[in-house]
Amino acid sequence: MTGRFVTFVILALCTLGLRAGEVRRSTVGFPTRIEGIVLPGFELEAEPLDRQAPLVVRIEAVYPHGTAFRYDLVYYGLEPGKYDLKDYLRRKDGTSTADLPSIEVEITSLLPPGQVQPHALAAQSSPFPGGYRTMLWIGGVLWAIGLAAILLVGRRKKRPVEGEGARPLTLADRLRPLVEGAMAGTLSTSQRAELERTLLSFWSQRLGLCDLKPAEIFAVLRRHPEAAALIQRLELWLHCPAPTDRVDIAALLAPYQVADARSEVPQPVAHK
Amino acid sequence: MSLHEVTSFIQAARDRIASVVVGQDTVVERLLVALFTGGHLLLQGVPGLAKTLLVAALSKTIDLAFARIQFTIDLLPSDILGSEVLDQRTSEFRTVKGPVFTNLLLADEVNRAAPKVQSALLEAMQERKVTIGKETFKLPAPFLVIATQNPVEQSGTFELPEAQLDRFMLCHRLDYPSKDEEREILRRNMALGVRREDRGAVARTEFDVLEDGPVGSTEQVVQAMEAVHRVHVSETFLEHVVEVVSRTRRHPSVELGGSPRAGIALVKGSRARALIHDRDYVVPEDLFALAEDVFLHRMRLNYEALADGRTGEGVLREILTELGAE
Repeated sequence: MTGRFVTFVILALCTLGLRAGEVRRSTVGFPTRIEGIVLPGFELEAEPLDRQAPLVVRIEAVYPHGTAFRYDLVYYGLEPGKYDLKDYLRRKDGTSTADLPSIEVEITSLLPPGQVQPHALAAQSSPFPGGYRTMLWIGGVLWAIGLAAILLVGRRKKRPVEGEGARPLTLADRLRPLVEGAMAGTLSTSQRAELERTLLSFWSQRLGLCDLKPAEIFAVLRRHPEAAALIQRLELWLHCPAPTDRVDIAALLAPYQVADARSEVPQPVAHK
Repeated sequence: MSLHEVTSFIQAARDRIASVVVGQDTVVERLLVALFTGGHLLLQGVPGLAKTLLVAALSKTIDLAFARIQFTIDLLPSDILGSEVLDQRTSEFRTVKGPVFTNLLLADEVNRAAPKVQSALLEAMQERKVTIGKETFKLPAPFLVIATQNPVEQSGTFELPEAQLDRFMLCHRLDYPSKDEEREILRRNMALGVRREDRGAVARTEFDVLEDGPVGSTEQVVQAMEAVHRVHVSETFLEHVVEVVSRTRRHPSVELGGSPRAGIALVKGSRARALIHDRDYVVPEDLFALAEDVFLHRMRLNYEALADGRTGEGVLREILTELGAE
């Protein structure tokens, strides 16, 4: 009973002391600290920060003080005027702060009276197409268009490959005009060389010699009766400066003229 | 000298070498190709494949001067080319010619010497003359360098750069002999016996078999070289060579393709091969036979191809087998 009475007296004296004390003064923007102020009731906390509030109050430390709490407060004003710090505090349990004593402070300005103030800021809309979000949207749309274009163009290119019209030339396709030109005697030197290369490729593929060493390919070809005969006659025709035998090109290449254009490797008719 | 006489001489030389060296017919052919075209030959193979014996046999068969240099890290250019030595009796400098002054030079393990030594040899190969002090000496003709490289032990070696490899007309990769050849090698070796020397005896080696006289002379080599130049090369064959060289440059797996020198080597080599095979005109078979030896040491695959595990042999095989395909 005595303890409660003593606490009440102390609180009453503190309250009276605060009321009796002069109003705390500080200037705009300067933080001011109030240490060890005892405030009755449940624990207090600072009101959430409001960007428009002319005064900012923070509680730096709280200590239990009998049935009350002792606080270290820091405040600073953003606009000149008289304020009550009580208005910027609230109970943690949400109860009223009406029983709190007033903590009056005055914020003064260092600027002389009549100081010209800047115009108030007026919110303006961003010019088109400014703004980070707008740019993000534009970028996203362009990316989507690009992706769609890549996918569609790729599909369009594939279609003709699947179709009959774009079928790549087979060995037979290339061989036929060369053989016809050779039989007609209209081949140039490079075409003759191409004809010989194509015929060698034809026989290499037909006999499955692609995995052999290059030097071994001819050894196999020369052992094959048809291929050997063809190669020998071709060498006489294309490389020998003074062939002893006349090479009948038409008879030699006739089997390759009737090659089926749809087959990759034509099946020659055995020549006599 | 007619074509028949030249080919008879070539066949006699091949038979003589074959009596000493078992198998390796392809290497003998490449040696003759290099000899008749004035090119140089790089042999890649593990030790013990009779490289030295082969070159020694060739020199004895055709009566050519032969020298062998074992390339090591401490070799100096003067050890190959020669140097000026102060003669203490006359107090004058005297030129001492190096082993490069010979007809057949075997540069054993050429990649073991420092780059300046390799470069000294390769310059001599290219220019066929050597400057010692203030004096320039011409190398004897014919002059053929047969260099060897061991593909296995690469530590402590100086890899020949592409520019210097390009100076070798052919690079042949020696393979192990077949089982039959290996059997014959053992039989011949067992039959060698021993040779009495002074009051003792030494085991005879294959080199002791080389005591028979030569079957040909330098003059016959010169005539063979002239005959090579008479071998006909058709326009069609030139088209093939141009196409192959071009494809080695255009292939997507190749970073460095065949140089113009590769094309020249292919035509020269094909002519010599045609002569060795008793023909007076070249055929695509010559191109196919020599392609690996001409191109593989000149081609460099790109990073992607190497990462895919592709080899020069595989890429060249693809180029040749797809010659007829566009």
